[in-house]
Amino acid sequence: MLVAVFVSCSAARAAEIQVVDDAGRILSLAQPAQRIISLTPHMTELLFAAGAGGKIVGTVEYSNFPAAAQRIARIGDNAQLDLERIVALKPDLVVVWQYGNAQRQLDKLLRLGIPVYYNEPRRLPDIARAIEQLGRLAGTEDVARQAAQEFAGRLADLRRRYASRAPVTLFYQIWDKPLMTVNGAHLISDVIRLCGGRNVFSALKVLTPVISTEAVLAADPEAIGGGSAEPGGTRELDGWKKWSRLTAVARGNLFLIHADIISRNTPRILDGAQHMCEALDKVRAKRR
Amino acid sequence: MCRALLIWLALAAVAFAAFVLALVSGSAHLPLTELWQALVSPGDSVAAEIVMRLRLPRALAAFAVGGLLALAGALMQVLLRNPLADPYVLGLSGGAAVGALAAMLAGLGALAVNLGASAGALAAILLVFAFARRDFARQQMFGALDASPRLLLTGVIMAAGWGALITLTLTLAPEARLRGMLFWLMGDLNGVESWAPALLALACALALTYPQARALNVLLRGEVLAQALGVRVAPLRRTIYLVASVATAMAVTTAGAIGFVGLVVPHALRLALGNDQRMLLPASAIAGGTLLLLADTAARSLLAPQQLPVGVITALVGVPAFLFLLTRKPEKV
Repeated sequence: MLVAVFVSCSAARAAEIQVVDDAGRILSLAQPAQRIISLTPHMTELLFAAGAGGKIVGTVEYSNFPAAAQRIARIGDNAQLDLERIVALKPDLVVVWQYGNAQRQLDKLLRLGIPVYYNEPRRLPDIARAIEQLGRLAGTEDVARQAAQEFAGRLADLRRRYASRAPVTLFYQIWDKPLMTVNGAHLISDVIRLCGGRNVFSALKVLTPVISTEAVLAADPEAIGGGSAEPGGTRELDGWKKWSRLTAVARGNLFLIHADIISRNTPRILDGAQHMCEALDKVRAKRR
Repeated sequence: MCRALLIWLALAAVAFAAFVLALVSGSAHLPLTELWQALVSPGDSVAAEIVMRLRLPRALAAFAVGGLLALAGALMQVLLRNPLADPYVLGLSGGAAVGALAAMLAGLGALAVNLGASAGALAAILLVFAFARRDFARQQMFGALDASPRLLLTGVIMAAGWGALITLTLTLAPEARLRGMLFWLMGDLNGVESWAPALLALACALALTYPQARALNVLLRGEVLAQALGVRVAPLRRTIYLVASVATAMAVTTAGAIGFVGLVVPHALRLALGNDQRMLLPASAIAGGTLLLLADTAARSLLAPQQLPVGVITALVGVPAFLFLLTRKPEKV
């Protein structure tokens, strides 16, 4: 700890702006970034939340929120980046999702001397922290701080209301074929905890494990949730309806949340959380 | 004949044991008494639901798919007279994969994916048939004791083409669809419900090819000799190609492209028991089914509740097994 303080103090003299990103690297900028490239849709959203949306000069496919993001130049998708275009855009900061981008291409960016900010939130408060850090890097601290405080306040509200309600066991399906869920370290599990739910597969070691249908039958959760490709989607969980002995099916406790607001690590995840908390409350109401 | 019967009975006994193991294992722990209860009088219990609607259909599907692949592999190895032949060597799994992946790319449902796979497999069968028709029609070639490489080359080239299309589809696919596509390519039996068509196809394929087994034995000696001994070579080769292809197509549409069963099982049986097709064809079907059943049981229970793709297990077993076969003694097929 002392070493960390010492390191940050001595480095602070050389650079004006300094943050420690989610990969544990110290990132220093001499002045606020003016030309930012975002390599995942959720980072684009975070930058807009931090007041730095106007400084994004390039982003990837599927960056569809907020509406202004649709007009930003595209430099590939998160698996395939057009490195030449990235360099041609002369970025002074590239923001990436640690596990969502191809590491080999990121290494090349690092070798070119372009500052890279890694983001990998594991808990909901990490999102507020990321917004604040991005604000500092882009020189929009005031907007960012306010956005972060708003997020933290809303998060605290939800936690106060739902976290200590009667526990509901939940299976959360992120994909149907192969059948995939999340373990306890995934951000979605943090949302489940926030709502007073208990992820039945939280003890698995893999972040997004592939599981068998039988495992879900054996766990017999009280509710089954899942992400839908479209807002208001209804089809993704239909496969479970034939298992009428499942408690979740027998009581009609299947619910879907639009994947964009639950699977992206952005302020909108609290909309998804709100949705999930209300769904779990309905599950509790059916007990009586 | 007595020997063959004994071999089949022994293999069937192992298959039975594999079925028992498959019904006992899984993420839900079911005591034997409950399991028995669920099998003989499936009432309205959780155990009955798990056994009758999950484990049993999945076990039957695994057995049928494994049997189809091993039988198709044995037939292809005779047809091409090449030890490296397997059900996929002529590009059939590639065609099926292109069809299935195209359906996934378009965001269609499970039924469309199966139809796409069937259509792709059919296209692959017909393309090879059309391009290699001279090879199929050829009656006799002067002094040509070796099988013509034309059919094999046609198939291998088609497979390369399909492979390129698969890579292209994977590259164009959005991130969200990629996972399902890769999983399909590896093969998977979770959620397979329709075991009956595959099992029926296995029975039909055996019934169609078993009467030809003696002729196949002769065919292995060379086409000229077979022709001289009164085997009608051209129709026989066409039949074998079509039966093996349809069997493979059935297997691939049921469970994806599961590797190595079709290559390794016939070879292992040949080395251990001899190369008499009358014994080998049924034995391959039973042993292939048993191997895939065991592999699938391992895939779903080794890390339960987590699942491994069954194709990974068969390949992990298949690679060292095949290397062992290759180094043990020179192959004579």
